[in-house]
Formats: sequence, C-alpha cells, structure tokens
Amino acid sequence: MALKIEKTFQVPEPAEKVWAILSDPRKVATCVPGAQITGQVDEKTYQGAISVKVGPSVTDYKGDVQIVRLDAQAHEIEILGKGQDVRGRGSASMKMTGRLRALPDGGTEIASVSEVNIVGILAQMGSRVIAEVSNIMFDQFVKNFQALLKQPSDAPESQGMAAREASPINATSLAWEAAKGLLRGKS
Amino acid sequence: MSILHKTSPEVGGLGHPIKRKEDLRFIQGKGNYVDDVRLPGMVYGQVVRSPYAHARIKSISTEEAKKLSGVLAIITGEDLAKANLAWMPTLSYDKQMVLATGKVLFQSQEVAFVVAEDRYTAADAAELVEVEYEELPVLVDPHKAMDPGAPILREDREQKSNHIFHWEVGDRKATDEVFQKSAVKAKVQAFFPRCHPAPLETCGCVADFNRATGRLTVYMTSQAPHVHRTVFALVGGIPENNIRVVSPDIGGGFGNKVPVYPGYVCAIVASLTLGRPVKWIETRSENLQSTGFARDYHMTAEIAADSDGKMKALRVKTLADHGAFNAAAQPTKFPAGLFSICTGSYDFSNAFCEVDGVYTNKAPGGIAYRCSFRVTEAAYLIERVVDVLAQELKMDPADVRRKNFIPANKFPYKCALGWTYDSGNYEAAMKLALDKISYQQLRKEQAEKRAKGELMGIGISSFTEIVGAGPAHTFDILGIKMFDSCEIRVHPTGKAMARMGTKSQGQGHETTYAQIVAQELGIPAADVTIEEGDTDTAPYGLGTYASRSTPTSGAATAMAARKIRDKAKKIAAHLLECSENDLEWEPGKFYVKGAPSKAKTIQEIAFAAYTNVPPGLEAGLEAVDYYDPPNLTFPFGTYVCVVDIDKGTGEVKVRRFVAVDDCGNIINPMIVDGQIHGGLTEGLGIAFMQQIDYDENGNVQGGSFMDYLLPTAVETPHWETDKTCTPSPHHPFGAKGVGESPNVGSPAAFVNAVVDALSHLGVKHIDMPITPWKVWNVLKEKGVAA
Repeated sequence: MALKIEKTFQVPEPAEKVWAILSDPRKVATCVPGAQITGQVDEKTYQGAISVKVGPSVTDYKGDVQIVRLDAQAHEIEILGKGQDVRGRGSASMKMTGRLRALPDGGTEIASVSEVNIVGILAQMGSRVIAEVSNIMFDQFVKNFQALLKQPSDAPESQGMAAREASPINATSLAWEAAKGLLRGKS
Repeated sequence: MSILHKTSPEVGGLGHPIKRKEDLRFIQGKGNYVDDVRLPGMVYGQVVRSPYAHARIKSISTEEAKKLSGVLAIITGEDLAKANLAWMPTLSYDKQMVLATGKVLFQSQEVAFVVAEDRYTAADAAELVEVEYEELPVLVDPHKAMDPGAPILREDREQKSNHIFHWEVGDRKATDEVFQKSAVKAKVQAFFPRCHPAPLETCGCVADFNRATGRLTVYMTSQAPHVHRTVFALVGGIPENNIRVVSPDIGGGFGNKVPVYPGYVCAIVASLTLGRPVKWIETRSENLQSTGFARDYHMTAEIAADSDGKMKALRVKTLADHGAFNAAAQPTKFPAGLFSICTGSYDFSNAFCEVDGVYTNKAPGGIAYRCSFRVTEAAYLIERVVDVLAQELKMDPADVRRKNFIPANKFPYKCALGWTYDSGNYEAAMKLALDKISYQQLRKEQAEKRAKGELMGIGISSFTEIVGAGPAHTFDILGIKMFDSCEIRVHPTGKAMARMGTKSQGQGHETTYAQIVAQELGIPAADVTIEEGDTDTAPYGLGTYASRSTPTSGAATAMAARKIRDKAKKIAAHLLECSENDLEWEPGKFYVKGAPSKAKTIQEIAFAAYTNVPPGLEAGLEAVDYYDPPNLTFPFGTYVCVVDIDKGTGEVKVRRFVAVDDCGNIINPMIVDGQIHGGLTEGLGIAFMQQIDYDENGNVQGGSFMDYLLPTAVETPHWETDKTCTPSPHHPFGAKGVGESPNVGSPAAFVNAVVDALSHLGVKHIDMPITPWKVWNVLKEKGVAA
C-alpha cells in the first residue's frame, strides 16, 4: 500500500536552528513516536527501529535510514528508510523530503513530502485508516519537534523523550482517534 | 406434473410451511459446531502466515517458538515435503501448497503450523516463528499476467507462463458472421469483483488419530464429507475404512466449505505425529484472506441484434483471475464451470464464449459462492448486456426481454452453447413480477422525477439458473459421478430414520427431507429423523452445494421411499388378503379399491414388516437409492428492483424489491422464502458493499469485517417474494432447487436499477460494488451532484 503524505507546519525558531535538528536523523528519530536510531553504519546511513502496536501484536520494523540528499544551502534533505518486521510480518519503506523556508517574522516553515509503502498486516488496515494514523503520528511528531527546539541545543535528550521511545505507538487507539477524526471530517 | 396427493398438515408432506425442526436446538444455543467439539487430551493448532504476496523464503527459525512452554510441535513446508505432503491436488487439476516451500505466492499463505497445549500458547508461539523473506515482484493485475515481462509465479509448473487455461464453446465463425451483418450491437465490459462467502462460522476441524485402533476421525466444516474422506485416503495413503469424517452442525457454507484447506491437512498431520486430537479453528481474517474466494471475472459481452430488438448472437470473452493456485472447487468437466449458461433466458441462434484463466499473487479459490460454478457471473453478464442493448435501442428493458425469451412451448430447449433446459415459462414470471411492482406506474413516476431532476431507477433481472450437479456427462469428482443418495429405515413402530450423502449448512434438510418421506410414505414429517454428515453412517454422497441437494438427494429420498412403498404394498396385500393389483395408495395407507374401509396404515404395515411378513419376503422395511440425475434443472425468475439515489451523497436506497422465483414444485414454502431472503441479502452486499481487493503490493484490502462489509438489518430492505411453478419434468417430484437463485439473479437487478437511474445521463455501466463514493463520482462527472 502506497500513500503520499504532504505536511507543512511552522515554528517560531530561525531556520538555522531548525536545520540543525532536521539534518540529523538521530535527532529527528527522537521526535517520531515509537522510533529510535540504534546505530550508525557510515556518515549517511543509520540503523533504526520503529514499533507499531496493532491489537495484541507489535510490529517491530528494523532497517536502515539513509540520507539520500542533503543540501545545507537550500535547507533540503531527502531521507530513505526501509525496514522489515523482525518476525517477518511485513515491511515498510518511506521516502521523505523536507524543506525549510525562512519566514519574514524570523520563524521557519517546514514542508515535508513523504511517500510511504507498507506491506503486510499493517497495510491491511486500509489507506483511510493508515492515512489518519499518519496524521496523528505527525501531530505527535510536530509536538515533539517543537519541544526539542525549545531545549538548549547542547542539552542531552530529555528523560521524557527517551521514555517515549521505549513504548510503541498503539495503532488500535490511533485507529479510534482516526475514526473520530473522520467523523469530524478532519482528514 | 402436479403433486398428486396433498397431505394433511399433520403429515406435513410437500407444500406445507412447517417450522424447521433443527431450529429448536439452534435458537437455544444447543447446536454442535466444530468448535464445540472437545476431546480428552485435545491440543490446538495455529497457522503462521505470510505477510508478503510474493517472496522467497530464505529461512524459518522455530527455535524461539519451541522454547515457549506448552509448545508441542512446529510443522513447516520442509517437514511436509519429507512426507510428500507439501503440496496437495486441487479439484481443478492443479496443485497447491499445504505449507509454503521455497516461496510464498499470496498474502496470508500458510507457512508453518504450530501446535500447543492451549489456543493462547499456540497463538503466542506462532508470533515467535521467525521467517526471513526476500520480497519478489508482485503481480496483482490479471491483465498483466500474460505480459512478456510479467514475473512467472508458478515456478513448479513446466509451462513457464501465468496462463492456466483457454476454454471456448460455441461457434466462433458463425457468431462473428452474424455480428458483421448485424444492424445493432451492444457491448458491456463488466468486472464481477472478488468476493467472499464469509459464512457466520469460519472453517476448522478436530483431527483425532487413534494410535491404538489406527483410525482417524476428522470433525470438520465440510460441505462434502464423503468426498473429503476419499481425498484424505488418496492423498494421505490411509485406508478409507480407517477414516471417519464427521460434519457436525455447520454455520453456513455457501461454497466456502467445499475445498480441502491446508489447515485441515496440518491438523491431521499433527494428530498423526502426536497421537492426540488437534483442533484448528480459523479467525475471521484468516477465513476472508486465505480460504476460497468467489468470482473475480473480467468479462466482456456483446449482443448482435436487429433494429427491432430481436437478438441474434452473443459473444463473450472473459479473463478469470484464479489467484496463486487454481483451487476452483468445481466438479464440472469445464475449466470455467457452467459459465456457458451465459445465453440465459434468451433464444440466441448463435453464441460463442471464451475464457482464459491466469495466476496472480492472490489467495487461491474460485469457489461457487451460493452458485452453480460460475452461473452467477453468467447471469449477471447477460442481464447487464441485455439492459445495455435496450438502452442502445431506446427500448424498454422489459420489452427487449419479452421479445427474446425462449418461448414456453419450446422446452425442453437446446441452447446455442449446448445445454438442454428442462422447463421454463419466463414471460409468466416476468409478468407477475412487473404486475406486482406496478411497473408502468413506476416508469411514469420515473419520468416525472427526471423532469424534476430526481434520480430513480428500475432494474429487471430475468435470470435462468442451472443447478443440481449433476449428470455424469458434465460432472465428476476424481472420476466419481455426481449422484447422491438416501437410505431410509422404517422402524417397527412406524417411525423412520433417513440418512443422506448431502450435508445441510443451514438449508433445513432435517425438515425438507422429512417432508419428502412424509409425502411419499405418509409417515408424518415429525416422525422422520434425518441424519447427515457422518461418513460412518450415511450412504456415500457428494455433498451439498450448487443447489444440488433437492435435485439429487431429494430425488433419491423419493426413490428410496417408493422402493419402501413397493414392499409395503406386498405386505399390505398379505395383511388384507388380496392381490397387490387390488390396492390403491393414498399417503399413509393402502386400501382395497372400492372398499376404502379395508385399509392398512403405513404404521401397521411397518409393524408387520418385522412381525408378520408374507412367505418368501425378507423382513424389515428399508431401502437405499443412489440417484444419478438425467439432466440438470433450470430454475428461473424475474427480480425487479426500485432505487432512489441521493444526489448529495451518492447513496443508493433500495425502495422496493420484488422477487418472483420458479423452482418447480416446492417442498416447504417457508424455507424457500427464507432461502430467497438470505440470498437477496447476500446479493445486496455483493452489489453495494463487498470486495476482496488488493493493493499494488498484494496487500489484502478486504481482509476483515472493518473493510469487508456484511449487510445488517439496517441496510436490508423489505423483500417481497412470489412464485410461479413450472415443475422439472425429469425430477421425481418436479422440484428444481432454489438456494442460489437469489444470489445469482439479484446482482443484475440492483446494478440495472442504479444504471437505469442514471441512463439519461449517458451512464451505461458501473462495476460492483456500487458504493456511495463511486456513485457520487459519477454524479460529479455528469454535473448533477448536489
């Protein structure tokens, strides 16, 4: 199942500060619910994991995150992530392009385009639900991202953030949120 | 042929709407389904399934799973291969994997089988089986299956292509010539989507191999227990006398419980290995994703006609998506089953039909969902293209049908594609349906509404069925002819027990077969116990599907009862001290001609059969009959559907639905009505709600009830039913079979109604399922969405 998710949001911080986080997959990963970077292969390639809980079973994707393109001048990054569930329940891949634009008020607009491809049990939930689940994950990501921006740049990752990494996101409760979202006509 | 003797309500023979005997236990929750079977020492199996539609298996690690306390065994394809059981034959001369070896070919394919002390441990252990896959290119579009660059799915086959079969019937040249000369041509491309019977009870079994006796007992959700016993004997090498298959109560089958599924085989292998009873029960999603789907036919139909609407020739071309294995559970000698009934109710002088089957990365199947082996696809197609012809000619669809029906005086009728229809009166059925729904008034109302910009449609479907598999010239399973059987034993007190080779899954056999015995022998239906499904006790039979029970076992029941009646006559003559020739029969007694008071009841005769038999006659009152029908039966009917469409939402509301069925003589009108109600409701689901769809990666998009919708009481309209009666001339009591008619006939009525509502906008066809979204998009495209 393939779907394209386009999202744009704004933060009050200047573009350089935002870029420092966005260009570092280790930092970005801490903002993605249920995700973590587990190792680094080379300058551009990292090993990562993300857990998604559907009902009683947890899908643990493990794989590589690769920076395909990094343009510090234009503040653009392209990341390719590919993972397989450790127990062979499916695979997922995502190509994400992020672009920053400095705003007149000194803040920054972050525009992202993600092409997600899911195979396996998660994909059976249907694109309506998956899209809404992605929306909710993205909302959570934005909150985490904003919180990270507020931290002093040299501070270690907060305890709260680390705790969130350990617990997988729960797609069943997300599905309920998604259903509510659909009823509100939010998607 | 009419029913000669109408029995009293107390006897309850043919035509009495007596309540279903089996319902007493069902409504009290006292049914005995396979998951109710609990045996001492029983353990549980769970299938590990593939998340990928097409992938090579690089490794399977069972180490972690085996460490879990309570896990007894884990079987993989490699294990089965050692016993030569990794593959099994299908009913369509293909083979399918029991557990995957080498690679998987569809999402949810069976990869391993875990056995544990309890169900929870089995499920947990299945999660711990680690399978490493290498993803392969996925083929989901059957149109691309024959492309030169398409991945070859079945590496096991000698033929290195995804093509399974090409089949054609009829005269291509003569048909093409008619088309060349014809003034009017109508064409429709219609996809009958992949749907699923989704019976209330999923599939499952308890396999119990007794090491002491060497006997294997399998309790299973089987529509054909004897056939399954024979298959297990042939494939597994177990002597057939050492196998007992028991089909307990079954919660709906609709064709889904005809095939042998890998889960059954794994449970049997596990029981043979462990020497303990092994239970395997599917979850809902497993049932929807891996067991026999139905339809998935991409069809094109063309009609050549004169400008006055007289149809001359029919040309049909179909691409059949069979999924990963050709596991179509169909016993005809033709790869597309009875699809060549596609000339339907119409008198075509020329016809040609061709079908190509291909493999894709989807679940295997092609079962006959409440259908006689592709008759649903055929009926839908012809009823759809006839409407398109009416639209092309700006004629009323009822008039086009009337003009082209096979006339009632032409039966038995041999159609252009070779079938001999037994009997029919199509115009009478359509007239009754149109009168009942006030057709002319509806057309007037429609014109008024159109003037106001409102959308209303009327759809007609005048279908012909082909059921009652079936005569040996058309059918066999593993060479076994498609007869069916009945054994009747009349006890000394005049009560009776009868057993059949069929198996009810909700059809009400315990009632209807008892009514046949009541009709033929005059023993009250209440005094006749019917038993089916245990291969140790029932006579051999081919099972229940394709509306075949009444045409075959029902006929066998009448024939066996008549054998008993012949013997009873001898005993009656002995008791009444007269010649057999002096006796007359009425249900329940023999009496001396001209002296009705000199009579012996069947109960008196039964007692005498054990206490006072005439010299030279053996004791007892029993008979067996194996009935091989001389022809199929051809039930028919006309359904008329009225819909209103909401221009704001695209929602289609079925305002009225009139179903006139003709299934010949009726055993129990209440059960027939129940069958029609159920089948129409299923047809509604197929027409408007259901599809087992796949995305481009082969992920199932209809794999749970979240996405595969069943109609509930909320969505279901009021069904209005009525009957005409044109008995089958070759069936012992003129019956034809009815279970499938509503599922076969209704999809076209629904779709024709929707298209009729939009026809003035130039809409000629919309594929099922006709969801509000689909309709709304059409409305938007035509500029009429509110």
